[in-house]
Amino acid sequence: MIALTDLQTDALAEVFNVGAGQAAASLSEIVGDEVLLSVPRIAFYPRNALNANVLALQGDRIGAVRQDFSGPFSINASLLFTEDKALEIVREMIGSQVSVDDLVDFEHEAMCELGNIILNACMSAVANMLDIELDSTLPEYSVDHMDTVINELTGDLGQPVVLVLHIDLTIEKRETDGCLVFLLSSASFHELIAAIDRFLGRI
Amino acid sequence: MTPTSLTVNWPVLADALSVGLILLDSKGRLLHWNAWISRHSGIALDQAQGLDLEQIFPQDLPLPFRHAVRNALQRRMPIVLSNVLHRSPLPLFSRHEHRAGNLRIPQSVTITPVPQPNAPHLCLIQVTDISVLAKRERVLQTRTDKLSREALVDGLTGVYNRKYFDQKLRLELERAQRGQAPLSLIMLDVDSFKAYNDTYGHPAGDRVLITIADAAREQLNRSTDVLARYGGEEFAAVLPASDKLGAQVMAEKIRRAVEALAIPHTASTVGPHVTVSLGVACHDTRQHCTAVELLELADRALYDAKRNGRNQVRWVLSGAAPLDTFPSTLR
Repeated sequence: MIALTDLQTDALAEVFNVGAGQAAASLSEIVGDEVLLSVPRIAFYPRNALNANVLALQGDRIGAVRQDFSGPFSINASLLFTEDKALEIVREMIGSQVSVDDLVDFEHEAMCELGNIILNACMSAVANMLDIELDSTLPEYSVDHMDTVINELTGDLGQPVVLVLHIDLTIEKRETDGCLVFLLSSASFHELIAAIDRFLGRI
Repeated sequence: MTPTSLTVNWPVLADALSVGLILLDSKGRLLHWNAWISRHSGIALDQAQGLDLEQIFPQDLPLPFRHAVRNALQRRMPIVLSNVLHRSPLPLFSRHEHRAGNLRIPQSVTITPVPQPNAPHLCLIQVTDISVLAKRERVLQTRTDKLSREALVDGLTGVYNRKYFDQKLRLELERAQRGQAPLSLIMLDVDSFKAYNDTYGHPAGDRVLITIADAAREQLNRSTDVLARYGGEEFAAVLPASDKLGAQVMAEKIRRAVEALAIPHTASTVGPHVTVSLGVACHDTRQHCTAVELLELADRALYDAKRNGRNQVRWVLSGAAPLDTFPSTLR
């Protein structure tokens, strides 16, 4: 595992929780009910250490929402849920608003939006804290086997650092867990650490 | 003409598009929108320019949309608003008469930052009319539903087929075992059915099967109960949350309902009418059993009902309980 000081880890975890709180507020508005989102733990891993155990997702098929962020450093960010849970979330979110007949195949679209909200909120919080500007691509949603998803995540040798955030999402009192995976190049990783240190120096 | 000498008139091009484009400045004020938006909002561009969207559409914009625009302006990150979660955020109408009933165009919205050299970002809102898409998806879904239904339903009697029943039994049994809940299985066989076919012909035999399936279905009144044609003249029903007594009562109701049809059957060894024999098996919550084992038990009970004179219900509890007739005192 890639070592950060406790202070650096705490700072980063706090930022992500701020982002998660904002995402939860946006989701609550859409769902019309309380939505809770928290990031109980974060950890860095080297690229080749990323596997199903690290992600702690129980299930063979994984739904992933991906956005690529760029600025002073680049991060490829993905939100992962098992497909079953993704469907559950969408059903909970749609709930009262749309009848099952209308549900059709809009899960992908809804997951895209959910991922977009969470990823934007988290990365905006990072950008705010570090006082940087980040651009992003539009979100893309795909569903694939766990192995394929991991291979794709770890396929880029230029991004040897993986940040994994486990998240707990509660919609309409139903709790779901998933994770956020951020891929960074070595340079981006060092930029991020430097930015965290600058932040810690300011406070 | 070479590409370099081609001058593109972007506003004209934007007006030719069949998607809506709304361009806001960094403060959220309208710089431009294309003809598609004017047409469907009923508001001319020059009336709206310089105003923010909440001024242009007072009381018409849902909170999540307003916050999405605000977030896009502040964070400068792209945002998607799916149709499934937002339906129709903007008051846009395909026909003027839809206004009165507020029948808005179903929309899919994308909000993207537009970087400007040495100036604050602009914000572009793209609105796609997805009504055609939604309609097509609905048609496809209806067809898929029909095909999946056909794959699961017995063509003659309209009750479920064996394939569906086997899946359902396995699932319901797992559920019952997880929740420590009872579950019962009824197997039903038409008495002397071969003799009926030989006497009245196969088309008449088919009609009897349809009538019996209907009669049994009428008795099974809970939505969770599943009736299926299990083989030639054999039917099966799974009754989740039904214990031994409940299942026995149900099986007896079915037996009586068939008897009450009073379909003449001169070749029957039982009586003058078509009758059925039924075997009931109940999953014992204290003892684990598989779907196959439960089916075997019900089959055993059915066999016993046949051997014992037909036109009756017999039952067995998983865990090798003794066979018994039901209702022993009533008959």
